[in-house]
Amino acid sequence: MASLRTEFDTLVSALAPELFRYAMGLCHNPDTAEDLVQETFLRGWRSRTDLRDSKAARAWLYTILRNEHARLYERQRPEVHDPCSLPDVAVRGYDTSTEAFVMRRALAGLDPDYRDPLLLQVVGGFSCKEIGRILDLNTNTVLTRLFRARKAMRDKLTDPAPQEVSQ
Amino acid sequence: MNCLEFRRRLLADPLCKDEDLLAHEAECPACAPFAQDVRAKEIRLRSILQAVAPRPGMAERIQLAAGFERRAATRRRWWYGAAASVLLAIGVSMVSLMNTSIERGNVALAQSVVNHIEDEAHHLREAQALPARRVNLVFKRFGAELAADIGPVNFAAECLMRNRNGVHLVLPGTAGPITVFFMPGETPPGVLSVSSPRFQGRILPTEWGSIAVVGEQGERLDGIGERLAAAVQWPQPQAGVVESAVAGRRLAALARVTQQQDG
Repeated sequence: MASLRTEFDTLVSALAPELFRYAMGLCHNPDTAEDLVQETFLRGWRSRTDLRDSKAARAWLYTILRNEHARLYERQRPEVHDPCSLPDVAVRGYDTSTEAFVMRRALAGLDPDYRDPLLLQVVGGFSCKEIGRILDLNTNTVLTRLFRARKAMRDKLTDPAPQEVSQ
Repeated sequence: MNCLEFRRRLLADPLCKDEDLLAHEAECPACAPFAQDVRAKEIRLRSILQAVAPRPGMAERIQLAAGFERRAATRRRWWYGAAASVLLAIGVSMVSLMNTSIERGNVALAQSVVNHIEDEAHHLREAQALPARRVNLVFKRFGAELAADIGPVNFAAECLMRNRNGVHLVLPGTAGPITVFFMPGETPPGVLSVSSPRFQGRILPTEWGSIAVVGEQGERLDGIGERLAAAVQWPQPQAGVVESAVAGRRLAALARVTQQQDG
């Protein structure tokens, strides 16, 4: 039991920052993102017996976080933070350049089917095969969605007309 | 690789280092600047998203919350265990009490049969057989009827047995008189034995109650209860069982009158 706790604490220390980044990419709200990460780890602890291979813990936690985010939107409509405005609380490393706001808005405007694999690749650094396992898709579908996601983002970024940057 | 295929693969994974991809980029003047632009934007996007850091102490806060949850789960398990133990103890006690109560009830029934015989021992001295019509009259008070000959009966009366009325018969036996009680509403869980220094017998459960057959020590009683149960047609339990205390008292008074008439 004690060794399990130690493993869990190590996992939290190692993975909480990157899970927070992934959560920020999903909800753009630091408070909600931290709640999501905390709930992810608590759920992970409760379901630790489901995890047979400790090497798969990282992908497993990303899956839990993604499900938690979806569940959050099923339960309630949390206040969606505009990715083009500054967060209510200061977030370390939050890029406040115009280009960053434009990119975040383009990302937030993607259909979740395209945004999810893109975030897993860009933030999580997962391969297409791993993304396929997390999203329960085959690799070709993941490749297609990643292509479409970036194409859609490029279209949004090269056509500035509908984008209004607010500070 | 053509340009379309190159761009599809590049947009799916801009940092891919596959040789065929790099070869096309090197030889295609249209795709090279496109690839550079895609990679530059990819690196920028990654830097924007990956630079974000949580507030200091988030990992510790999560570890603390997990610790609280673990302790709460431990407490819950303790309480569940304690509650389960208490429920188990109550259940065991209830079953034990019920068993004790049933056993006491059975012993009390057998003892009340012996007591009744001893209290009314004078009926054992009846030597003359009653007419079948007289015997039938006693059964008719309960809505019952003799469907077959039950042999000679020296005494027949309605009697109060443990708050319920029944039929008290005395039959001639080989070792002495045999007492038979028809006890509607008295439903023992199985065959009970009746025993005293002088008497021995059995109480047989029936659909409507039970029949006690008791004789002197050494008397052969085999089959008598079964024969009598078959010979008497007793009504359904609801009709024959007198449950209420008022009805019990009324019938007890009636029994006293009957006994006075018989006496």
